[in-house]
Parts: sequence; structure tokens; C-alpha cells
Amino acid sequence: MLYWVQEAFANIRLNRTTTVIAVATTAFTLACFGVFLLLYLNLKEMADSLHEDFQVVVYLSDDVAAQDISKLRQTVKEDPGVESLTYVSKEQALMDFREQFPAESHLLDGLGENPLPASFEVTLAPSLRSPPSVTRWAERLRGLPGVAEVRYSREWVENLTTMIGYLELAGFAVGAVLAAASVTIIASTIRLTLYARREEIQIMRLIGATPAFITIPYVLEGAVLGAIGSLLSLAILKGGLEFMKLQPGAPGQVLGLETGFHFFPVQVSLLMVLVGLVLGCAGSLISVLDMGRARV
Amino acid sequence: MIQLFHVSKYYDRRPALSDINLQIDKGEFVLLIGPSGAGKTTLLKLLFCEERPDEGQILVQGRNMARMRPSDVPFLRRTMGMVFQDFRLLPKKSVFENVALPLLVQGASTFETRRRVMDALKAVGVEHKRDHRPMMLSAGEQQRVCIARAIVNGPIILLADEPTGNLDPDLAAEIIELFKAINARGTTVMVATHNRHVIEQVNRRVVAISQGKVMMDKGYRE
Ligand SMILES: Nc1ncnc2c1ncn2[C@@H]1O[C@H](COP(=O)(O)OP(=O)(O)OP(=O)(O)O)[C@@H](O)[C@H]1O
Ligand SMILES: [Mg+2]
Repeated sequence: MLYWVQEAFANIRLNRTTTVIAVATTAFTLACFGVFLLLYLNLKEMADSLHEDFQVVVYLSDDVAAQDISKLRQTVKEDPGVESLTYVSKEQALMDFREQFPAESHLLDGLGENPLPASFEVTLAPSLRSPPSVTRWAERLRGLPGVAEVRYSREWVENLTTMIGYLELAGFAVGAVLAAASVTIIASTIRLTLYARREEIQIMRLIGATPAFITIPYVLEGAVLGAIGSLLSLAILKGGLEFMKLQPGAPGQVLGLETGFHFFPVQVSLLMVLVGLVLGCAGSLISVLDMGRARV
Repeated sequence: MIQLFHVSKYYDRRPALSDINLQIDKGEFVLLIGPSGAGKTTLLKLLFCEERPDEGQILVQGRNMARMRPSDVPFLRRTMGMVFQDFRLLPKKSVFENVALPLLVQGASTFETRRRVMDALKAVGVEHKRDHRPMMLSAGEQQRVCIARAIVNGPIILLADEPTGNLDPDLAAEIIELFKAINARGTTVMVATHNRHVIEQVNRRVVAISQGKVMMDKGYRE
């Protein structure tokens, strides 16, 4: 009903200063949480993309005969965990090395013989692209005759996965604390409004208004504060991110992310606003219930 | 309609009302008189459930006020009208909005609200001030707005606390006539006053209280 909306905005106008403070603090706390969320989502995306082109290199012993290589190739290729496989011969490996590191190629010249081993570059099936299963698979392959070594970016992936785990934990903890802070701030703002209008509230009661009818404008007020706060926090985050991107050595580059550091997708942004709204409602409900208990 | 049994109310352990017994039937017009501080307002507050009795039982429309759930109180109040001694108008709302409030909280339609509010404002003679804020009105005009708000939803019981305190004799007589008319339509009316003219004009049951006790309960002088 129009009445409730009008009352809610009248309340907001009533104590403008505290409203501004409440919105600013809510925005700040939600922005802190947003930093975590941004980091988390981006690392997660990074981990997913790493898993996607999860490459394992199987180095062959130098003493393997040519027909044994093709036999081995057949065995590995038929393994259910292997999606695709490319054979890189010793010569190919040398050429690749010279191409990639032209300055160092003279190092190899001195050795006379080609020191680089032949290898299979294996792309694993999606089901195997997690650290524990890769480890198991690699152990099995190492046992095959003619295989000298199996290498993959194990530590990197494992580190990233544990880091994401920690971030999830920290995010929950920080999120809970900051959510509580937002609720408290909004609750005290609403309490001020309730206090300023306590006589009007009493009159409303006396002419037969139900507590729910009286409460709705205050809950709306909290919701508006929370929503504005979270919108503001999104603006802060977006601004901060753009600013950081302009700096040399931006975090995206430091972490070696070609994809760059992304802002929240639209759904997550909307969710943030919704979270702010719900926190605001919760804050005002706390105050209203508090006051209801004080005198019925 | 209204029954009080051994009702007492204390403020800071000093009795404002002590051992009040009173029975008011449907359709009665009762004047409540007594010196300042006698407990008239306290009694009306108890009937309106603004305060709860410390001792005794109060039945209003057959419902026990002491045992009523808080969630039922608003619905009881919607069947009653109260003219407060201190007006209790919302300062930031216009006269029209103030009088419309009892209808608004019940979810009455805009059309119905408009009709009833204008009727009530006309009945007390302040319809020309409907867009003013209460602060811009004289005390007498504020009092009449408060009366309009009390009668706007056609209450079953009308309680009026010193409703003519700020009115000149002619206006006071007019308001009492209005109450009589409302009473004639079946509404139970209780008016607290120390205005002698009112007592003479009404010529109905008079309950006199002093220091929280009923001193006299006199019926019609017909
Ligand atoms: N909220 C309160 N707190 C403490 N004492 C109160 C309160 N309300 C009333 N009293 C006391 O109760 C007694 C009765 O007060 P009440 O307002 O009922 O008198 P009254 O008959 O309405 O007087 P008046 O004609 O001046 O309006 C007074 O002594 C007053 O001091
Ligand atoms: Mg009084």
C-alpha cells in the first residue's frame, strides 16, 4: 500500500544523517565481503580453466626401440583416462626448445648428443582432472616399461585448490561477522527512527492499528537502507577494480591470469543487492521486536 | 456493555482508582465527573485498554480486558472511539489524514474513507481546515478534529475525555448535541467532564468519582 512506502521514505528523511552513516557503513562492510567474494570467484574460475587444459607429459626412456614406442603409445591411448595424446620425438623436442629459448640453444650444441627425451603430451579425461586422481593415474603410468617420468603441474593445482578451500572458510567467517555488523548498524538506525516517532506509534496503536501495520514502514526503511548500501558497495568494488587494472603490475597479471580479473556476473550482483535487502529487513525487525517487547 | 468489578489501578503504589464497581448498559449516556486528579482519565484508559488494571476485572462487550491477548486489542479498539484529553493528533499529517487514520488501518476503500471523513469533519464543523496540519489549528479546532476521529468509524462505544474543555459554551453545547445524536443511534457514550453546563444539558446518568472512588451514581432526573 502507498501509505507504507510514503511512511518509509518519511522515516528516511526524518533522520538523514544517521541514514547516510548507516548506508555508508553497510556499503563498506558489504564491500569488504565483496573483496573476498571477488577473489574467491576469480581463483575458482582460474582453477577451473587450469583443470580444463590439464596436461600431463609422459617422458620416455632413451633406450626404447621405435616399435616399443608405438606399442606404448597404443597402450596409453587406450587408457580410459586419456582424452588425447600427441607424440613428441627427441628431434621435435629439440626443435621446440630452440624455438622457445633461442638464446640458450648453444647450451645444447656443446653436448653433442640430443639430451632431450621423447614424450607423450597427454590431455586427461575430465573425470581425472582433480589432484588425487591425477596422482593415482600418474603412479600407474610410471610402472609401465619405457616410461622414464610422468610430470604434471601438480603442486600448482594442489596449492590453488587448498587456497580456494581456505578462502571459502575465511569468506564464510568474514561474511558472517560483517553481516552481523550490517544488521546491527541498520538495527540501531531504525531504533532511532522508532524512538523519534514513539508518540506517533503509540497513537497508531490507540486508533486500532495492528503491530504488523505499524511495523511495515520500518521494515521497508531497513530494506531500502540495505539495498542502497549493497548497491553502493558494488560501485566501490567496481571502481576499485578498474583502478587496480590501471596500475602497472595489476593483480591479474601478477597471478599470471591471461583472462584478467573479472567483476561479478549480473546474477551475483543482484544476489548481493538481495543480501543487503534481507540484512536490512532483519535489522529493522530486530529493533521493532525489541520495542514491541518494551511495551505492548 | 461495560462492567467493572473491584477495579484498582496504582501509579507508583499510589492508588489512582480503588475498588471501582460500575455497570453501564448498551445505549447508555454516562457523565463521569470529579475534581482534577480524581481518576477520570485513568478509568477511560482502562476501558480503552491503554492501561491494564492492577486488581479486579473489566468486561467490555463481554470480553475480559485483563485476559485479552495483545493481538486482539487493536480489533477491540476499532469498535470504540476515544476523544483524548490531550488530543493525540499526528503532527505531520493533515486534519483529513488524521481523521482518516482509523479507517486506513482497517483497510477501508478510498471512496468510503473520503465520504466518512468528510461527514465526520462536517459534524464537528472543521471541514474547511481539512488540509491544515494540527499545529496550525486552535486548541478548540484540534479538539474537534479529535472528536471527528473518534466518531469516524461509527463506534459501538464512544469515550470522551473532557471533550469540551477548549470550546466556547455555544460550541460545547453543539458537541454535546452531537454526542446525544450519536447516542440516539445506539452508541454507548461516556463523557468525562467537570463542565457544569454539560451536566445540566445532558441530564442523564452521572457518576461522580473523587480520589479514585465512586462517590455518587445518579440515574435519570426525569
Ligand atoms: N502515567 C501516570 N503516572 C503516574 N501517575 C499518574 C499517571 N497518570 C495519572 N496519574 C495519577 O493518577 C491520578 C488520577 O489521574 P487522572 O489523569 O485519572 O485524573 P483526572 O480525573 O483525569 O484529572 P483531570 O480532570 O485533571 O484530567 C492523579 O493523581 C495522577 O497524578
Ligand atoms: Mg483527565
